[in-house]
Amino acid sequence: MSMKPMITRRTLLGTGAAAATLTLAAPGLVRASTFPDRNISVYVPTSEGGGADRNFRAFSSVWKEKLGTDFEPGFYPGASGRVGYEIYMGKADPDCYNLIFGNMGPEVLNWAMQNPSFDVNDYFYFGQVDKDPCCLFVGAESPLQTMDDIIAASKTRKLNVGTSRMAHPASIGLLALGEKLGIEFNLIPLQGGKSTVAGAVTGEVDFSVLTSGSVIAAGDSVKTLLVFGNNVVGDRLDNAPSINDAYGMDLPEMLSARAFGIHKKAADDHPDRFETLSKTFKETFDDPKLMDAYIASKGTPEYLQYADVEECEAFKTAMLELGARYKSLLSGA
Amino acid sequence: MDSSTASILVEVFFDTLGYWYIIIPTIFLGLIVGGIPGFSAANTIIILMPLTLALDLQSGLVFMISLYCAARMGAGIPAILVNIPGTAGAAATPLDGYPMAKQGKGQQALAISFVASCIGGLLTTMIALATMPILARVGFYMHSVEMIVVMLFGISLIASIAAQDMVKGLIAGFLGLMIGSIGTDVVYATPRGTFGFLELYDGVPLIPALVGLFAVSEAFVIIEKRVIVNHDEEPKTPNWHDTFEGVKIALKRWTHIVWTSIIGLVIGVIPGAGASIASFVAYQQSRSFSNTPEKYGYGHPEGLIAPEAANNGVTSGTLVPLLVLGIPGGATAAIMLVVMQFHGVSFGPSLFENQPKVGYGMFMAMAVSYVLMFLTILPLSRYMSHVTTIPTIYLAPMIISFTLVGGFVPREYMFDMYLALAFGVLGYIARRTGYHVAAILIGVILGPLLEKYFLWSLKKSDGDIMVLFSSTLGNILWVAFALSIILPIVFGMRRKRKLEVPAE
Repeated sequence: MSMKPMITRRTLLGTGAAAATLTLAAPGLVRASTFPDRNISVYVPTSEGGGADRNFRAFSSVWKEKLGTDFEPGFYPGASGRVGYEIYMGKADPDCYNLIFGNMGPEVLNWAMQNPSFDVNDYFYFGQVDKDPCCLFVGAESPLQTMDDIIAASKTRKLNVGTSRMAHPASIGLLALGEKLGIEFNLIPLQGGKSTVAGAVTGEVDFSVLTSGSVIAAGDSVKTLLVFGNNVVGDRLDNAPSINDAYGMDLPEMLSARAFGIHKKAADDHPDRFETLSKTFKETFDDPKLMDAYIASKGTPEYLQYADVEECEAFKTAMLELGARYKSLLSGA
Repeated sequence: MDSSTASILVEVFFDTLGYWYIIIPTIFLGLIVGGIPGFSAANTIIILMPLTLALDLQSGLVFMISLYCAARMGAGIPAILVNIPGTAGAAATPLDGYPMAKQGKGQQALAISFVASCIGGLLTTMIALATMPILARVGFYMHSVEMIVVMLFGISLIASIAAQDMVKGLIAGFLGLMIGSIGTDVVYATPRGTFGFLELYDGVPLIPALVGLFAVSEAFVIIEKRVIVNHDEEPKTPNWHDTFEGVKIALKRWTHIVWTSIIGLVIGVIPGAGASIASFVAYQQSRSFSNTPEKYGYGHPEGLIAPEAANNGVTSGTLVPLLVLGIPGGATAAIMLVVMQFHGVSFGPSLFENQPKVGYGMFMAMAVSYVLMFLTILPLSRYMSHVTTIPTIYLAPMIISFTLVGGFVPREYMFDMYLALAFGVLGYIARRTGYHVAAILIGVILGPLLEKYFLWSLKKSDGDIMVLFSSTLGNILWVAFALSIILPIVFGMRRKRKLEVPAE
């Protein structure tokens, strides 16, 4: 009786093929179970060395410990952030290894002024790092030293108001104030925070509106008169009242809010990876090291504030609605 | 200046001198980063930010200031030797610097540039220190209307350059202005002429345009020759005599250094204005009031002194609004602000009351840097000028690869490398057909700035064009501008008449 071989040629080939397949697929399988197994790329739509860069580095220095991997920033400035978003949406793979670190205030307002080449619902913000209310301020030597001065002067002439750019939450705050008081202001886009501060200080414009973090950094060269949100820093913004308290309004806070965003497809296709990102992002806020890093990067501690997907989405929607409402005034259309 | 301020100044001066071991290596670093297109003091300070923040306040301050000064001077070296202005601030330097190098006077040109830079920088630092409260007020008077006239001073240089062939010169100038208008508009951010390229939404990036028009096109031209130095000029062995000759030429024109560096200082204290504006305005003014305007563009020392003295004058100027008002006058000053704030220094009117040593220390660091720069860099001109004798079969590919990388560095877009190449081809065609690339470049650099100030003025006045004549200072500048256009023509006619008299 001939013994049937335990391993036939067919079995051997089959087993070999299966083993080879398993060997080749193993890294992928392991990868799938150990996200992240490589660095996360972060697209920053502003210049290196700016506020977003400092803020990103402070936050990621703590987040990387929770996530177990490092973050690699890439800076894509231009066209008020539009270039960075277009590159992220057009070129970055939607695999949860590519994130965008943007500003839900002015950058989202862009979409209301001019549609991007992608659908704005194809990405969403899943974690806010900080929020910085906008404010109205004058130069230290300006003849307008109170809101009453501004209102009185606006009755005699149309006042010129500096803003970083037309499509900015601070511009909307000012337009809302003008609507409430029946005053027409002339917005002058001075292209950037530094120029906006300089415009108010040197008298290029009568006064300016900007995010309050930049105004605090300008020190005693400027005086803040009104906050388009809540003044949570007290005398660092000269104890200026909120617009709602001062004029009985119910304007939503006009904020610059930095947040991490992601392709919707990435979150849909890789829910486990997205869960890891969201969970570790939240854990980062619970770590006291974050506040230390944020303060070291010259952030205003009161502005460090977590917000989740739902809150970020509500913010984004509100910005798009406000942008649509004021589009004709902000875009000249 | 009271006695306590004087004693603080003396103390700070000697303190700063004690940091020579930081200043000297930083000078060499600054020369290198300034000379590489695309790099600058600003992005070097960003890259080295962890180091800068780790240093103590005084060391960090000395490091940043000496890097800033040296990078400004370093940008002039490749501009003179191989027609590569490393930054927009050095864009006017090759107009006369490079023709000198081609005439075999590269070493002399470098010496002239170093002397003009160091004396201009040192002098304006002293003036800024003495007149800081007054200078800080300049920004309060120079608003958008006044800046329009300042821009026109620079842009009128196109007409001077076009003098030899008016039609071609003006075509080149208008082409530059058209290229300069690419990008989103200043007020409503409406894209214009971007051809759908997102990378052009912020306008044509300056460094790729600069290196493309000047350096890449020049590389295409020099490849047809054996060495940069003209065939009819015997390539000389570098010698100390040329360096001393350059120093002598520059020192003989000390008044020229003084007034062109003051132009730089005054423009530098205006927030937002910068070295590119100052160097073109200084060059234009220098040419307008010269007895020999016809020599400009052909290697005239005064045409080299003016932009170099002016752009170093800007260096001290940008510190004034930073220290007195807390407003940085330029990109490097803005980064200094961040670093100094990290150390707990708050800028603005209270700085000189609370931390006078920091305020004065920054100017002293600048003064000491210029003195040490003069002593360390001048001897190097002999060795640097060797570049012009390198055979072009090696030099041209190096220039192209070097400048393409330089085009890439500021924004890190591959697009910018292609753009530099495209500008190189445009520049080459312009050179071969007798159009002046400098006229194109002036349009590209100053056009967007002129448009910005013009649109701001119109927006502020609700579209009333008469706003251009609404300020006293603006009107004085208009008269000065008109005189600077008319007087050279009158002087030229008078000179011509004088020359004709003996002939009769």
